[in-house]
Amino acid sequence: MKNVLLAPLDPVHDIGLKMIARGLEQAGHKTTLLPPDLGSEEIIEQILNSPDVDTLLLSRTLGYGVGELLARFVDLADAAGVREKVKIGIGGMAIRPELAAELGFDAGFGPGTTIEEVVCFVEGREYRPDPNRTNKNKPDLTEGYDYTYLHAGIAAKLEKISSFILDWVKDKWSPGVERARLRDELWDVERWRKREGNGDLYQHYLPLCSELPKKFYETGELHPKTRRFTREEVAGLERYLEDTKARMSVLKLQHTRKKPYVFNQYGTGCPFMDIGHILASEAWGADGVVHFDPSWGARTEGFLDGFLTHQEDGTVITPANLNRIYLGLEKSTLWQIRAHRGLNTPETVVLAGKIGADLTKINFCYGSLAAGTDPERMVVDAYHAMLYAKKYKLPFDVVTNEELAGVPAYKAFAGMLIVSDLAVRLGARPILQPLFAYSPEVMINELMEDNYIDFNAGKVYALRGIINAPIWPGAPIGFLTHTEDRVQSAMTTALHASLAASLGVDAISIASTDEAYSGGPISAPAKVDTLRAVQEGFRFLGQGTITPTDTAVRYAERITDGIEKVLEEVIKAGDIVAALHKGLLGSREEGAYPGRAGKGTVETQKES
Amino acid sequence: MQNPYERIMDAMDVETFFVCKNEEEGRSLMLAMLKGWGFKDVDVVFAQHEGPGVRIRGRAYIYRPADRYAWLLPDDTGGTQL
Repeated sequence: MKNVLLAPLDPVHDIGLKMIARGLEQAGHKTTLLPPDLGSEEIIEQILNSPDVDTLLLSRTLGYGVGELLARFVDLADAAGVREKVKIGIGGMAIRPELAAELGFDAGFGPGTTIEEVVCFVEGREYRPDPNRTNKNKPDLTEGYDYTYLHAGIAAKLEKISSFILDWVKDKWSPGVERARLRDELWDVERWRKREGNGDLYQHYLPLCSELPKKFYETGELHPKTRRFTREEVAGLERYLEDTKARMSVLKLQHTRKKPYVFNQYGTGCPFMDIGHILASEAWGADGVVHFDPSWGARTEGFLDGFLTHQEDGTVITPANLNRIYLGLEKSTLWQIRAHRGLNTPETVVLAGKIGADLTKINFCYGSLAAGTDPERMVVDAYHAMLYAKKYKLPFDVVTNEELAGVPAYKAFAGMLIVSDLAVRLGARPILQPLFAYSPEVMINELMEDNYIDFNAGKVYALRGIINAPIWPGAPIGFLTHTEDRVQSAMTTALHASLAASLGVDAISIASTDEAYSGGPISAPAKVDTLRAVQEGFRFLGQGTITPTDTAVRYAERITDGIEKVLEEVIKAGDIVAALHKGLLGSREEGAYPGRAGKGTVETQKES
Repeated sequence: MQNPYERIMDAMDVETFFVCKNEEEGRSLMLAMLKGWGFKDVDVVFAQHEGPGVRIRGRAYIYRPADRYAWLLPDDTGGTQL
């Protein structure tokens, strides 16, 4: 047992010192807490009068003149011979460990110090933070949802639409579908991980690829903005991971609520920089991370391979890149590989499933109306992507970012529900992803004139009134409310996160504070900014709630009515591809343009 | 001691308040300061001028994606762009 004297070097008591006294007592030590506002001489006199004291803990909260005050205390303690028998630590808001060391204190405890750290100092033990101090488990975001409909009219319409989509798509084929089949059937990930090659895959794969992958496999030529990592860099990454993992622990952002789980994105272009960013995100509490790939990858038939780094936004999808990132993830981290647009949609799901992803992203409406892929190709590929998502047990969000182009929420939601209904019929597990955004529709129609709460809440109310399905607002929440000011940006993210928590949704995707900055890549501290802000938002909210006004209910009704009308029009069209071209799920006037990548590549399979 | 800049994962931000007449002057001051410190890949991320001066954040990218990062290759001398 140690005998510890605790003294505030302030005119008032420091609550931190009281908490430390309590912690020391619980650890079995004797403590004496002196009153505030004593002079340095009086504290030293108290030590001299208490021969059993072996540790003195001082606290200082006020920053003004702290250097001079502490230097004088050390001088007095030296002169009185106290230092020879008493260990002295100093802590508090005004203290930095480097200042304490410079002045000759035995320890300095700055803001954020844990009681355990101080107990270790008193007991003369080295402080080793428990790497498992926060045990996080990987959740299933779809758990507890049965996808039953609560709106009979919408359910009946979706059934009709899914029926004609299934009838149309069942015998359709594309090069992307075939590559996915090859990857699924011929590529043994475990053999590949053991460096035993790709089997016969590329023999059949190459004829189905566009020029870039063909050149890569035939001549080794890369996309102009990519390069291979060197052996030294790969070895350096291994060392970096080993060192970092040895001291890694993860924070938990949620306070007393279990949800929402928090995702952020990565995709600097460089998988090694991504790993650095992911580790920082995990350490600061991200529950999941989302892989962003470059837009040219979505317009290319087929994947490259190898450790490739890319100079611009988006990290190239290759088996080696994904595998390297996978091996760097914490066990509790949910990992999403997006397959919502482009010519590699079904193969992306197969790769994601084989390498170890937990989630993917599929929406043929968004992919064809706002992400450049031909509608016919996108529907066919997305259908097969859903089948693979089922096979590899990958739930997927159905993103509605076409709203950012100007498509009204009710149309984007109609598309999301069509995709989700089809997915459920195929046995997959979709997650609804409404935008929490200051979208063009909102701006034009002044739907957020008063607050950012009602329209976002109205979206969630509408979806909850239609189907019992998981909801994951994104992507990112607060889209178009961020500015380049990091305080504002972190604040708007935290407030939208708190609204999401209050609405009881399952997950959210957040941006960094670099969201509105376009001058360069997102930086690691910008990711930490919003994670910290969200943690504080959750702490602030607890089990409390944000109460939308009655307007939210009116918005929900308007969205629900709009969805039903759109579905009616799609039924009249009788053809999902025609519906997409006609603008029923987002028109050119609303900023949705049917994509052209992959046009004319869908074929009807002949019966064998 | 290893050059501290080499331990920066990607970029270094500097926030301050310049006493100046307008935002443009504040931006020039920030860029001049960062360049004066020897950084080449610099930018102003955010600036807001009100009466007395500008609240401003400048950024120096130590590494861009696909560079050789010294925190990954501590023995490599070609990493930093300083």
